[in-house]
Amino acid sequence: MDPLSDLQPTAGRAGAVLLEVATALEGLSRDQQMQYTIDLHSLPMDDDERAWLRARLGSGEVRAALDVAGHSTVDETGFAGVWWVRHGDAEGRAGLEQIVVARVPALLLAHPDDVADAAGRLAAAVDEMVENLDG
Amino acid sequence: MAEPPTLGDALRARGLSRRALLKYAGWMASLMALPPSVVPAMAEGLAKARRQAVIWLSFQECTGCTESLTRSFSPSLEDLIFDFISLDYHHTLQAASGEAAEAARHQSMRDNKGKYIVVVDGSVPTADGGVYSTIAGQTNLAILAETVADAAAVVAVGTCAAFGGLPQARPDPTGAVAIDKLVVGKPVINIPGCPPLPQAMAGTLTQILAFGKLPELDELRRPRAFFGETIHDRCYRRPFYKRGQFAKTFDDAGARKGWCLYELGCKGPVTYNACATAKWNGGVSFPIQSGHGCIGCSEPGFWDMGGLYRPLASSTRPLKRVVPIAAAGGVALGAGAALLARRRLADTSNTQEET
Repeated sequence: MDPLSDLQPTAGRAGAVLLEVATALEGLSRDQQMQYTIDLHSLPMDDDERAWLRARLGSGEVRAALDVAGHSTVDETGFAGVWWVRHGDAEGRAGLEQIVVARVPALLLAHPDDVADAAGRLAAAVDEMVENLDG
Repeated sequence: MAEPPTLGDALRARGLSRRALLKYAGWMASLMALPPSVVPAMAEGLAKARRQAVIWLSFQECTGCTESLTRSFSPSLEDLIFDFISLDYHHTLQAASGEAAEAARHQSMRDNKGKYIVVVDGSVPTADGGVYSTIAGQTNLAILAETVADAAAVVAVGTCAAFGGLPQARPDPTGAVAIDKLVVGKPVINIPGCPPLPQAMAGTLTQILAFGKLPELDELRRPRAFFGETIHDRCYRRPFYKRGQFAKTFDDAGARKGWCLYELGCKGPVTYNACATAKWNGGVSFPIQSGHGCIGCSEPGFWDMGGLYRPLASSTRPLKRVVPIAAAGGVALGAGAALLARRRLADTSNTQEET
């Protein structure tokens, strides 16, 4: 569904954000490497506007949970390439909310340094296993 | 001495992936109103940085600044700052005491010569040779001079350290002086507030670590990222100000409807700080949202501004500066409030002349 087809006059600032998301998504369809983030925390939206925006974007197929420096969720919305990211604090309150327009949000990707470290640790574990088998 | 590991390596050793830095950088960029596009660079900068040696000096203060930083409400995220710094001396928090504590300070000064950051909370008493506050037999003045000699930078946290604060309020019996009046030849950053926002303290240190340079400062040496706008600029009650809807008492109908607290002494129009956006207690609220005007605690001389509940435009000292700002901030009705306040001042002056 075209996100612009159902814009309510009452959407206020949330409507402007939806327009920004639509423009970014159009950009992603042309540039697959794009990562575009909208920081909802810094926008003067009230709870109703935020709820309207969340409902308007809907839910998709992917839901990821991260437990790193607090709990975070990364939810695909009903529009492929549009993700709703929520970082909570220890009590579960939202410390930061973002809309990320990307094929996969960078937060979900393993960093090359972490991959290199993991490769070394796994190789060491395999060596240890082989040594134990030989012994 | 072997160089300490990078923050990226140190966090990985703790089982935290690079995602932690990406998340932290995203949160910090949001607080500092930086564009989200800087987040990857900030995270990479942090990953390559090495743990920053910090010596924290507490002088004429109440420990509220330390409480603000250590009692944050998102411990998993906000506490990452303690992974980024090596707090080598803090006489309230450290386990060591007496000679051992002072030895730790001297050790850090030697090991990190020219690289460590000195954080100071509290003002320095200068009257009578500085005898009103001493630590380990040394005056605050002497400890400050000794410690900043080989520092890379000095960060004055809290209004007492930044501007003199409560100790300097009239009659200022100890001759309290702000840190930047005493430190010469070193960069000084002021992070005022009573207490300062923990995000402002952590954000400033993070910015130094991630980008290897001091943040942009205003004319009072405050980081613009946190002190670039007034409370009034970002206050959710500002529409009421523009419409001329002011609470007259703390329990009238206007107050219950959340109207502007300008006439109840709110100092938001002349107070530069990020409380209205960063908020307190884990983003729950800030003073105005809780029904009380801003007391202007991050501004110089806030304690002597004529009373916490006296409307800005009727106070004596800052009147010439304040009334035009307040009038320019609103439309006709807002300006009307400033006019009424001028009249109130005139009434006050006439009364004073008569008496």
